[in-house]
Amino acid sequence: MDRKEENPEPVEQAAAPGRLARIGAWFDLRLRISDQIWPELAHHVPRSSASFWYVFGSATLLCFMVQLVTGMCLGLVYSPSAAESWASLEYLNYQQPLGWFMRSLHYWGSNFMVALMTIHVVQVFLFGAYKYPRELTWVVGCFLFLLTLAMAFTGQVMRFDQDAYWGLGIGASIAGRFPFVGGIVVDLMLGGPIIGAPTLSRFFTLHVFLVPALLLLLIAVHLWLVLKVGINEWPMPGRLVTRERYLEEYHQLVAEDGEPFVPNGVQKDLVFSGLVMVALVSCAAVLGPAGPNGPPDPTLIDTVPRPDFWFLSLFAVFALLPAYLETPLILIAPPILFLLAALLPFYSGTGEKSWKVRPGAWILVVTVFVCLGTLTWLGIRSPWSPDMAAWSGTPTPVAMVRGRTPLELQGALIVQSKQCRTCHSLGGEGGERGPALDDVATRLTQDQLIHQVLQGGGNMPAYGKNLSPAQVKALVAFLGTMHPPGQLPARDASRVASSAAPVAGVSGGR
Amino acid sequence: MMRRNWRGAGRSVVCLALLWLGACADLPGRPDEADRPIRPNDVKSVDVLYGQNCAGCHGAEGRLGAARPLADPLYWAIVNDAEVQGVVARGVAGTAMPAFALSEGGTLSDAQIAILSDGLRTRWSGPDSAAPGLPTWAIQPGQNGKRGRVDQGAQVFASRCAVCHGGKGEGGIAPGSLVDASYLSLVSDQALRSAVLFGRTDLGMPDFRGGSGEKPLSPDEIADLVAWMASHRVAYPGRPYNESDAAGVGEDGP
Amino acid sequence: MRERPAEEASGTSRRNFMIRFGVLLNVVGASMLGLPILGYLVAPLRRRAEQAWIPLGRLADYPQGQTRFAEYANPFRVPWDGMTLKTPCWVRRKEDGSFQVFAINCAHLGCPVRWFQESRLFMCPCHGGVYYEDGSRASGPPPRGLFEYQVEVRGEELGVRGGHLPTLATPV
Repeated sequence: MDRKEENPEPVEQAAAPGRLARIGAWFDLRLRISDQIWPELAHHVPRSSASFWYVFGSATLLCFMVQLVTGMCLGLVYSPSAAESWASLEYLNYQQPLGWFMRSLHYWGSNFMVALMTIHVVQVFLFGAYKYPRELTWVVGCFLFLLTLAMAFTGQVMRFDQDAYWGLGIGASIAGRFPFVGGIVVDLMLGGPIIGAPTLSRFFTLHVFLVPALLLLLIAVHLWLVLKVGINEWPMPGRLVTRERYLEEYHQLVAEDGEPFVPNGVQKDLVFSGLVMVALVSCAAVLGPAGPNGPPDPTLIDTVPRPDFWFLSLFAVFALLPAYLETPLILIAPPILFLLAALLPFYSGTGEKSWKVRPGAWILVVTVFVCLGTLTWLGIRSPWSPDMAAWSGTPTPVAMVRGRTPLELQGALIVQSKQCRTCHSLGGEGGERGPALDDVATRLTQDQLIHQVLQGGGNMPAYGKNLSPAQVKALVAFLGTMHPPGQLPARDASRVASSAAPVAGVSGGR
Repeated sequence: MMRRNWRGAGRSVVCLALLWLGACADLPGRPDEADRPIRPNDVKSVDVLYGQNCAGCHGAEGRLGAARPLADPLYWAIVNDAEVQGVVARGVAGTAMPAFALSEGGTLSDAQIAILSDGLRTRWSGPDSAAPGLPTWAIQPGQNGKRGRVDQGAQVFASRCAVCHGGKGEGGIAPGSLVDASYLSLVSDQALRSAVLFGRTDLGMPDFRGGSGEKPLSPDEIADLVAWMASHRVAYPGRPYNESDAAGVGEDGP
Repeated sequence: MRERPAEEASGTSRRNFMIRFGVLLNVVGASMLGLPILGYLVAPLRRRAEQAWIPLGRLADYPQGQTRFAEYANPFRVPWDGMTLKTPCWVRRKEDGSFQVFAINCAHLGCPVRWFQESRLFMCPCHGGVYYEDGSRASGPPPRGLFEYQVEVRGEELGVRGGHLPTLATPV
């Protein structure tokens, strides 16, 4: 194996093999590579676990190392001061040679890390690798998961722009929901009573010192456990895990059908890591860094704060929960879910490992991903968010302007100027918080329209105080025209019967 | 043999590395200076300012919006810069046009309003701007020593407008009533004057010069028309039902 | 390696003493070290008490019946706050001349609400919270109305009390 250490040396220097061997031996004596470290690396693993399914953990580790390196590079230029950080990000993007690329690598590195880590967790879960005797590996892994998400969140704050500023506001508002200690938690989180320079410094310390230190520590424990307990064998249906016999069976398996981790087991990890690196660099080169968007100036309120991709599902949950469930669910559900996940090996620590005979595991994974996927998709679209610029920036569809009476045109103007389109779309453009108005006349009669506008309801504010009777009349006249050509507007049958004539006010004739 | 292979490999690695570094200068992910965030009040592009603040009501191309078209050379010939900027800055009382100046609670700086007015004038001015003797835009109190005369206005309407709008303004070829109390309460006299002056050429209504072969309306006739229309205003406009429907219900005004 | 029984006994008791003394010394040292660290970490809590009177400009700057944007410099400042020193708020002067000053932060999750003069509503860009002009909740997820500062008029000058980020735990 000494020869192996020297392999990278060019062959033409073979003139001094003796000296090289002596230098190698000098280090070996002190570092104890050949008798302490090498045996660990070359320890035997089940041949079945040298699979492409087992490469995601090492790929996550690779991403973490990329993050360490690119993070240190960024640290050379980035200024973690509220007064200067945004300017330093702009400097990185536009002036510092390759600064944008380093930001891009760090950003995509974090995305890759979270994604690969998620795949790793799912693989471990489906392969039953968390079961006896690898419980602690799983628990430590759960904390690693949490810490990685903490890195993603605090990293978002390092990109100190409008999203970061208001993201901190969101974080503080969530913290402020803790009963009794809410105010204290907020102040400790922000480093003062309001978002300012101490807040950024706090998150910088978390992102650069505390969380990475914990990550390094737990990664070491995680790896140590993988080495000492042994990598999980390929699960076979019917091969049950029991506390009594598992270790014996595992050792027998490794002895009969094992191979050294280095160089045999590590091959696929190497190939995949290379692929990940190429993919990561390509993403960074082609897609570029994220932001920063506008400067973190709290007085620039013309902004639509959005979290980074991994937190969009959470963002969606906040929009969709009913108000009375919000505080309890936000504060109680995450710790319970985390505990349930972390303690998984303690209530499901033995038995079948194979995903083939654990339909519950599949159902859980699919359910979780469908939920997260749906919520993320909703978070990207965020139909609950008002379209703040629609009233002055999104034109009334031309077809809804042509052939309208003067009164109806005033109604169309009211739809724009009274900010109806902030929440209601016309011709597919505008907010989606309320229903589209394109065919509202087929759904509501004139009276119902007036009632809805004046009194609100169904999550719509009441406009009674803000509209004059004439404005209401114009608005309802315009909305009364909102029906497809072949379809009559809704009419109040009782009024039709009593007046024996079509309802007045709905102008037809176009 | 070995040696050459190593050299070759080394050389290609160096070449690749240089290529890669060179390429980095021009990779698609590199942030574009043009995308650099700017503060909202530093926006100077007329397209952006118009698109964000005006297009909603005045139309994407300055026509066929809910509000009056701005892609109208006659408008820019008659209305001067101070008037346009005043309208944008302070809005028009009695109409849906809101105030946009920061000092009025809006979002645009005075400089931006000037950029907008200059830019739109450049974009939409036409040969009309040189035409002499155009009427003024603003209603000046005491103009010609008098407001418009209602009875004269009725005659002008009958001869010049009734073809499309019906004999009493109740609507004809052009749909809908011009003398609807609710409509009249939502437009100022100034807006009525603008409607007579500029028409809505994008929707087929001619400006004050009328169709081909017609004589333009005189300033007096314009004032009279506005006065006649304004005379249809009522004290409590906008009751939900027409008079006939409301007859049975108690007459409780707002 | 070779130890005589007598010395072993006294060595054991001496070792026991040394271990106990060592542990004690370390506990003392660690608390002398740790308490200041803890105090340093919770220092932000001590600044909470300072509520300041913050000037928001002259009364005449705020027309009656209108709601205007205003900003002030955060009283809990450090010299390197930069732009974050600024704090925005909404000042409503009612028809009768009295004032209401609302925090910019939505009561739901703290996003910046925007005032729409025409519809006389505050709207939040994050999750669609809407408030009426008096700050009361109109629709959407907020659990309460807008956070309102305590207003003080000193002579011709308008001021508010507060300055910290309003949350449900400490609403102004």
